[in-house]
Amino acid sequence: ASMMQPQIILLKEGTDTSQGKAQLVSNINACTAVGDVVRTTLGPRGMDKLIHDDKGSVTISNDGATIMKLLDIVHPAAKILVDIAKSQDSEVGDGTTTVVLLAAEFLKEAKPFIEDGVHAQNLIRSYRTASTLAIAKVKELAVSIEGKSVEEKKGLLAKCAATTLSSKLIGGEKEFFATMVVDAVMAIGNDDRLNLIGIKKVPGGNMRDSFLVDGVAFKKTFSYAGFEQQPKKFLNPKILLLNIELELKSEKENAEIRLSDPSQYQSIVDAEWNIIYDKLDKCVESGAKVVLSRLAIGDLATQYFADRDIFCAGRVAEEDLNRVAAAAGGTVQTSVNNIIDEVLGTCEIFEEKQVGGERFNIFSGCPSGRTATIVLRGGADQFIEEAERSLHDAIMIVRRAVKNSTVVPGGGAIDMEISKYLRQHSRTIAGKSQLFINSYAKALEVIPRQLCDNAGFDATDVLNKLRQKHAMQSGEGASYGVDINTGGIADSFANFVWEPAVVKINAINAATEAACLILSVDETVKNPKSESAQGDAAGAMGRGRGGGRGRGMRRR
Amino acid sequence: MVGMSMQPYGIQSMLKEGYRHLSGLDEAVIKNIEACKELSTITRTSLGPNGMNKMVINHLDKLFVTNDAATIVNELEIQHPAAKLLVLAAKAQQEEIGDGANLTISFAGELLQNAEELIRMGLHPSEIISGYTKAVSKAVEILEQLVETGSETMDVRNKDEVISRMRAAVASKQFGQEEIICSLVTDACIQVCPKNPTNFNVDNVRVSKLLGGGLHNSCIVRGMVLKSDAVGSIKRMEKAKVAVFAGGVDTTATETKGTVLIHSAEQLENYAKTEEAKVEELIKAVAESGAKVIVSGGSIGEMALHFCERYKIMVLKISSKFELRRFCRTAGAVAHLKLSRPSPEDLGYVDSISVEEIGGVTVTIARNEEGGNSISTVVLRGSTDSILDDLERAVDDGVNTYKAMCRDSRIVPGAAATEIELAQRLKEYANAEIGLDKYAITKYAESFEFVPKTLADNAGLNAMEIIAALYTGHGSGNTKLGIDLEEGACKDVSETKVWDLFATKLFALKYASDAACTVLRVDQIIMAKPAGGPRRDAAQAAGAGAEED
Repeated sequence: ASMMQPQIILLKEGTDTSQGKAQLVSNINACTAVGDVVRTTLGPRGMDKLIHDDKGSVTISNDGATIMKLLDIVHPAAKILVDIAKSQDSEVGDGTTTVVLLAAEFLKEAKPFIEDGVHAQNLIRSYRTASTLAIAKVKELAVSIEGKSVEEKKGLLAKCAATTLSSKLIGGEKEFFATMVVDAVMAIGNDDRLNLIGIKKVPGGNMRDSFLVDGVAFKKTFSYAGFEQQPKKFLNPKILLLNIELELKSEKENAEIRLSDPSQYQSIVDAEWNIIYDKLDKCVESGAKVVLSRLAIGDLATQYFADRDIFCAGRVAEEDLNRVAAAAGGTVQTSVNNIIDEVLGTCEIFEEKQVGGERFNIFSGCPSGRTATIVLRGGADQFIEEAERSLHDAIMIVRRAVKNSTVVPGGGAIDMEISKYLRQHSRTIAGKSQLFINSYAKALEVIPRQLCDNAGFDATDVLNKLRQKHAMQSGEGASYGVDINTGGIADSFANFVWEPAVVKINAINAATEAACLILSVDETVKNPKSESAQGDAAGAMGRGRGGGRGRGMRRR
Repeated sequence: MVGMSMQPYGIQSMLKEGYRHLSGLDEAVIKNIEACKELSTITRTSLGPNGMNKMVINHLDKLFVTNDAATIVNELEIQHPAAKLLVLAAKAQQEEIGDGANLTISFAGELLQNAEELIRMGLHPSEIISGYTKAVSKAVEILEQLVETGSETMDVRNKDEVISRMRAAVASKQFGQEEIICSLVTDACIQVCPKNPTNFNVDNVRVSKLLGGGLHNSCIVRGMVLKSDAVGSIKRMEKAKVAVFAGGVDTTATETKGTVLIHSAEQLENYAKTEEAKVEELIKAVAESGAKVIVSGGSIGEMALHFCERYKIMVLKISSKFELRRFCRTAGAVAHLKLSRPSPEDLGYVDSISVEEIGGVTVTIARNEEGGNSISTVVLRGSTDSILDDLERAVDDGVNTYKAMCRDSRIVPGAAATEIELAQRLKEYANAEIGLDKYAITKYAESFEFVPKTLADNAGLNAMEIIAALYTGHGSGNTKLGIDLEEGACKDVSETKVWDLFATKLFALKYASDAACTVLRVDQIIMAKPAGGPRRDAAQAAGAGAEED
């Protein structure tokens, strides 16, 4: 109706704009709300979240990034928090809850100032200074684990992995899994590709039944008759990797056969058989004892191989095939002609083994040793899914620790120390900045406070004890953090509650960037979605991404 | 509402139903001015280093968090015709210089706001226009006098000189991080600067955004960063010759539907073999030419890949035509359409090409350290997509500033020093003027005050005090007195080293004045009834329907 008169219509109808301090405060509130959702998942005593999405699938997790992803947040400012959780996940793999919580806390501390009329830019500048100082301090406090022997280093890395795992569902078995993760990461060495570590899930059994294969393992593929006759175990076999079908089928789609003489018909049939036999012969001639193919291996081929004591598996997932190629040192062949020894892989032991209710093909003792596979066992589906996510976090942490080998004490100790340092620093500043840096320092204390809250301890009590330790002039209290077992405080460093410094650095950095970004916004303009079925304002505001993809899209 | 009972009369009766016609000072000119003012209020708070960000969600649900005026107005989908003129001016500025779009819009808005006062005073728009036009030519004259002596010539390959000119432009986008960005951008620009700097092509500085880490993890790559993995299992190659095939690496299939007729068993058996042999022959030919890397613009056949692996050739796929062209420039290769034996001079060369993982993203990095002055890439790191996008815009501004300074290296004092000086001298000029132009010129001069006012406001300083202090300083002959936002006081810009490019200011001034005059010249608006297409949404249709009733 506003089209009616020559009043000013600057923007499209349905455009939603909001400006000013109220807007800023509402953005902060939205972010704090998101922070509250993940808040309780922090730390070893953190609770899990059950997320039931619109498709009916259920996820149980306490991984910040996973929760944030599944929440399907539509608020534009709160979306930024999802982004930083994702970024933390891709950069360091763990600390996703920490980063969201920190960002939310920074904003919460900023809110009273904004309401009191402080210009957001002043806050931003102070926050940026504080974050630079904090990061420098983390670097200064970090302890290098460089230059230790391999065995010693492994032990140290396991400590880092254990810290990460302690906050997860599989925390009860953290030592067991920590060693496994460290072995897996050490196995792939310097080749920095995550997909070289495979995680296979087999429901059933006990967590303790999980094991590590220094090579590749994958579930037995669909097999044809004759498979039973094939041998299931080889020592030092040659492995042939194929990307062709070993099946009796037409060679090319665009070829047609026209015969004028019916007597030739049999010769054509024979020729087709010849082609497949020729291929099979070549595979056998190559000397390979294990034949894997990305495409189907038919029953003819299966029996042919069985007669010649060769193991074969068709329809191997591409990812698995590539990992076998990397581990065994072969290359995937698209043709069986001219197979030279160089393209064949090998490994010490190949065998097919029963794992729970499944049969697994396991290649171990691979020469290049650049892959590892963790076979994960456990109860329910959701449980094993969450365990996989936890292991992923632990793997990432160990990888980062290998790369930048410095660690800091966990359990909130480092946060308390930075907080103390910033408080001290703020006293030396004249002007408004003092207050802002002080509030930044206060926000950092959220980590130990939340650890206590989640564990059911008296946060105020523990925090005061910690503050006292950290304020000690001698500096001996610098590594004191929350002791989750006793409800008191303890030297985190001595208790081996360690985390890689890079996790903390990235978390502080990302949380500050996000907080500054949200603080710097003073206006939101939301254009009506094009093509939306119902262009009313409510539709433009309320409905999430799902509704906006196109006209006439039904609810899934 | 005023016009619910609007009956067709006058010119309205001559127009089709649904057409709208607005005329006269009150209906057209003032309304236009108000619309433009409203637009400039949106962008104004984003001006300067302490400007606030806007969060714009466009019709595709994409979120922008930025203080880049060009992006804001682009995504706002301005409807008002007069306000659109301002947007066009900003776009012209963005295309000409690549920076200063906000100055253009805000200044035009300010000019119009002041014009409104004059109109209310009783001046006719045409008198205002004539005054404004005079003022522009005088302002340009003064601006030329304000150019810092010795800045006409510069060495575009001297990092310090470049940074001193670029800093202000970048700082207005990313305050507090300008040192890091400037140094990155300058390095990248100097690397790709051709022998004749005026031929500098902004397309040669690429930006690659990778989520994760922070700005301090950003770096420069001499060469290209492709966000994809290598196709085969060979992931790394050093000092390699490169063959580029635009059409894809595969057996050529006929475009016309064809069927191979087979007459005998022998033919059938050989059919597959000949095809295989053909592919091997082609790949072998490429391998023999010395190429170690094949880059394909199209699909890569499995059979071809098989032989590439066999001949130890790394295979890359770049589907974007633009990316492929840039790759050719990086490697100095000539792209072939068909898979065939490349001649030695068509082969490119890269120092190293490798697949790396940065922050969880697999990227292929092609480096060309020696001869490589063709393409350089700024690898940006940041924790969210919005931050990365904003950083990218800051880098773009920096690169555009570099282009502008290659053409015209003159600089003027920044931090509002130039604006105050212009205002002061224009006022003197206006006082000497006789006739009605005098009022318009004075207002034009006053319009400049909005720059220090906005800068101070956005930084949370007392604007009036600052402006007064600036005028005092400039009155006593200190032409370079500007605002120091760090300390919130007035300071000589040669100390704070805030310099703006002369060209940026000049064009912003011109475009803004032109746009303002164009808006003022309009005294009638005739709007056609919006055509009802299938794409219009229900609400708008309902709104239009209600209007017709």
